[in-house]
Amino acid sequence: MAINILGIRHHGPGSARNVKAFLESVKPDIVLVEGPPEADAMLQWVGHADLKPPVALLCYQPDNPQCSVFYPFADFSPEWQAILYARKQNIHVRFMDLPAGNQMLIEKEQREQKEEDISVNRDKINLEAQSYEHLNKAPISYLSDAAGFTDDEKWWEHTFEYRLNNDEVFDAVAEAMQALRESIPQKDKKLEQLREAYMRRSIRQTEKEMFHTIAVICGAWHVPALQNKASQKDDNELLKGLPKVKIECTWIPWTFSRLSFYSGYGAGINSPGWYNHVWHHKHDDGTLWMAHVAQLFRKQQMDTSVAHVIEAVRLAESLASLRGLPKVGLEELNEATLSVLCNGESILLKLVHDELIVGHQIGEVPVEIPKPPLQLDIEKQQKKLRLPATADFKDYTLDLRKDTDLERSIFLHRLTLLGIQWGRQQHVAGKGTFKEQWRLQWDPGYSVEIIERGNLGNTVLEASANSVLNQAKEATDLKVISDLLEKSIPAELPEAIQMLIHRLNNLAAASADVIELMEVVPGLITVARYGNVRKTDATIVLSIISSIITRICISLPNACVAIDDDAAQQLLGLFYKLNDGINLMQEPDTTLSWQQTLQIIAGNKNTSPVVCGYSIRLLNDSKLLTANQLMQYFGYTMSAATAPVISAAWLEGFLKGSGTLLLLDEHQWQVIDNWVSGLSDDIFMQVLPLLRRTFANFSSPERRKLGEKVRTGGTAGQQRPTVIINFDTERAKQGLPVIMELLGLTINNSE
Amino acid sequence: MSQLLRQHAEQLFAHELEELKKQDNDKRPANWVLSPQSVVTYLIGGKLKNGFQVSPKYIGNRRLMEIAVATLTTDRALLLYGLPGTAKSWVSEHLAAGVSGDSTLIIQGTAGTSEESVRYGWNYARLIAEGPSAGALVETPVMRAMKDGKIVRLEELTRIGADVQDTLITILSEKTLPVPELNMEVQAIKGFNIIATANNRDKGVNELSSALKRRFNTVILPLPDSIEEEIDIVRRRVESFEKVMELPVEPPALQEIRRIVTIFRELRSGVTLDGKTKIKMPTGTLSTAEAISVVNSGLSMAAYFGDGTLKAADVAASIIGSVIKDPVQDKLVWQEYLETVVKTRSDWSDIYRACRDL
Repeated sequence: MAINILGIRHHGPGSARNVKAFLESVKPDIVLVEGPPEADAMLQWVGHADLKPPVALLCYQPDNPQCSVFYPFADFSPEWQAILYARKQNIHVRFMDLPAGNQMLIEKEQREQKEEDISVNRDKINLEAQSYEHLNKAPISYLSDAAGFTDDEKWWEHTFEYRLNNDEVFDAVAEAMQALRESIPQKDKKLEQLREAYMRRSIRQTEKEMFHTIAVICGAWHVPALQNKASQKDDNELLKGLPKVKIECTWIPWTFSRLSFYSGYGAGINSPGWYNHVWHHKHDDGTLWMAHVAQLFRKQQMDTSVAHVIEAVRLAESLASLRGLPKVGLEELNEATLSVLCNGESILLKLVHDELIVGHQIGEVPVEIPKPPLQLDIEKQQKKLRLPATADFKDYTLDLRKDTDLERSIFLHRLTLLGIQWGRQQHVAGKGTFKEQWRLQWDPGYSVEIIERGNLGNTVLEASANSVLNQAKEATDLKVISDLLEKSIPAELPEAIQMLIHRLNNLAAASADVIELMEVVPGLITVARYGNVRKTDATIVLSIISSIITRICISLPNACVAIDDDAAQQLLGLFYKLNDGINLMQEPDTTLSWQQTLQIIAGNKNTSPVVCGYSIRLLNDSKLLTANQLMQYFGYTMSAATAPVISAAWLEGFLKGSGTLLLLDEHQWQVIDNWVSGLSDDIFMQVLPLLRRTFANFSSPERRKLGEKVRTGGTAGQQRPTVIINFDTERAKQGLPVIMELLGLTINNSE
Repeated sequence: MSQLLRQHAEQLFAHELEELKKQDNDKRPANWVLSPQSVVTYLIGGKLKNGFQVSPKYIGNRRLMEIAVATLTTDRALLLYGLPGTAKSWVSEHLAAGVSGDSTLIIQGTAGTSEESVRYGWNYARLIAEGPSAGALVETPVMRAMKDGKIVRLEELTRIGADVQDTLITILSEKTLPVPELNMEVQAIKGFNIIATANNRDKGVNELSSALKRRFNTVILPLPDSIEEEIDIVRRRVESFEKVMELPVEPPALQEIRRIVTIFRELRSGVTLDGKTKIKMPTGTLSTAEAISVVNSGLSMAAYFGDGTLKAADVAASIIGSVIKDPVQDKLVWQEYLETVVKTRSDWSDIYRACRDL
């Protein structure tokens, strides 16, 4: 009977190769792998044609899916190769680490001890796979320092991962780790001790089952602990009475970027893409890598010749030999790329990093694997709508007039409502409400969210509708409801929409706060407008809008009286949006009542002056005031008896955001020009700061043009009148039919 | 002490090169004086096996020097690129000294550099007397370097006109220099290579053609990362200057150097070192090299006109001289800096007064 303990580095391509070679020569009858025993049942899937790495084992607590651990595997992971070997040879393979159900609780306990006084939302903390962290950084750097390397990662790579001749490499690793563990004082790490005790117990168990040749795959750091025969009694003592929770496991697709450091997961490697390359092409001297870099640069329109590649490979080799390294490493290749291909500019290296060193690979998981129903439904829809989950982002422009695109949009909107942010809606270039721009980027972490949302329903439709209903039930704020409605309409959730509208109506009727009502309306108007493209019935929304606007019109005049500056400014913003929305609706009745309200507000002498000024502006914009009426209002407010503060505030409202309007509207210009020129010197000095405040809000080109216009006596910015010289009426008539046709009008020949 | 005003690198550091050669066990490329590893040690400094201390010539990232040396072992030429005063010429001189033991093969690139000074020229008296012959040919440093298998240095490559630049293409790719007049050619022997320098700040430079560019590996020499690194550079260079100039003064106080480097760094980056105050930037580059020359001239002032120790008054004039490159704009920048930053630092009052008095 022989126990072979193979110390590896997680995700080390050289380690993977060594493990594979070793297993093939020793031919064990059972393989034990560092990993959670709860996932043993999942091992049968390895070797399935559709389970393509990078994938991860997801272990979660069924009652609290946010408490989860990922065990990622790539092609070049030694553990993966070991499991794959066992599956192909049809021998036993098992996980032997401390169960995840124990680990999670112990870690949580430890963390709580540490952060007792810091209140953190503990549900949100993802319990990460501690077992997949690197070899303890500090210890191994003793070895790399001794070897003259500045970076312990590099030392490990050059000593173990890039090596081609692998005789006795596992003995060397074991000895090195033994020496380290002996000579470096160890901190008391409870979890580590427990895990190693459990692993020893698993090995003992296997021995009892009379297996002959046992292969154990574990992190290099644990090798001495597993070789050292601690007494069975002590181990059992240590493992007694550990707290435990129920854990469920499944395979989920993983991505290379999740394997790398920068995605925020401590359990990772710097350069998954590069390791993948090393795994697949062990004899590459950098030529193939450089050829990939060159291809990448060519795709970005960078001139890169074959000669460049040759020179870069040569430089990398010279650098490696200068540094006394047997094989070209990633650093040398990067430096050669920088110097030969990028002319010394490091910006392009970022591209190499994203595309090649990290890479965009995403794994696949077979459909038959037992999965939560919601996950299945999402996958089904993804397939049906041809929206594959990718690790790199991809942009889609959806034309909502097409059926597939409309369905895609509905699907994405529903996922967003569920809180799965796979697609992010982007600003659309160009006109038209029938277009939507989405950017899709799949994150393996969504798997957890999908499991969590699973309690809302088994299909996307059901779950998103329930999600909306739940939120709507809790909300007491009109704004929240209308936001939900705005999001639900494009997601086509008829049941939820009905309920939302109902609630909206009730809340609006009960609400005494006109400001709240005003905030809601613009969003609702957008909803009504969307209805046309999306084939949803918008009339029901329209009726709510008009009832809300009626309420607003009734209570608004009173709301504009006796308010302070800040409130008035807030009101102005709402006025602007509401006015816009009403213009958009083009409902004559609503428009009329709105204009009447404006008249009332403008006529009320107690209205806050800013609001009053703005109302008159809006009336003037809709051409509801005659020149004389406007002059009258203007003169009245600006007369000497009115306190300058009030007149200035009024003017501010009147001119709000209308620098260009003032430039072009000759009528308005004259009114103001007359007023300013009519001021006596001392009054002018008095109102100057207030005027300044108004004009300071205009953009600087507007101000410049206004100044020019004043200097030239009111002509700048004005369009020159068209001078008609020799206008050929007969010729113009010939063009008319074409123009009418372009405009879609029929010509009435009788006229 | 030699009578020379300035010695070449291989003369000044002859002892170091000799020691390195003795201790050198690594493989040497053909016609190299040292192995690549030793060249890197020569540039970066370090302790040899027998305990001999090699002084650092370039203070900064070791990897850059490794790339530079590795480039010279391939058949690509080396282009050192960077702001003025980032030690490009300094590095190229020492590289040439380390690799070929000879840094004298140099062509200064100017707008007027002609093809004759890059390839070969003619001695017209002999040309007329004897007709085209090998004796009438005037060799350039490039031709000599090709014959001897040495490094030739091309300073300010981008100032040379594009047409003249491109004559280098044949030399770099085919390693040969044809002389059609004599129906012969000079083929480079092993060890020949070119180190060119170019700066990316100057206006009116001639961008390299892409054909030429791809025959060079580019190494960008950056400005010093930290103030400590920069002070170290200035101190070492000033000390070597004292040795050369035989100045009878005390070694410069580190504190004075620190102040000068601080002023330069602050004006260069447009913000005070503590990051709190924004400063207007002058038009000049204010490189480390200029800081060195400020200290040097301060030392001369102290030696010949002062009491032998470096004082604020000794450096004030040359600080102002190197900051104010544009008499109108830079003067305002400098005055503002003086009043808002220098004045407020209590221990800087001597330098403030010295600058005000000028």
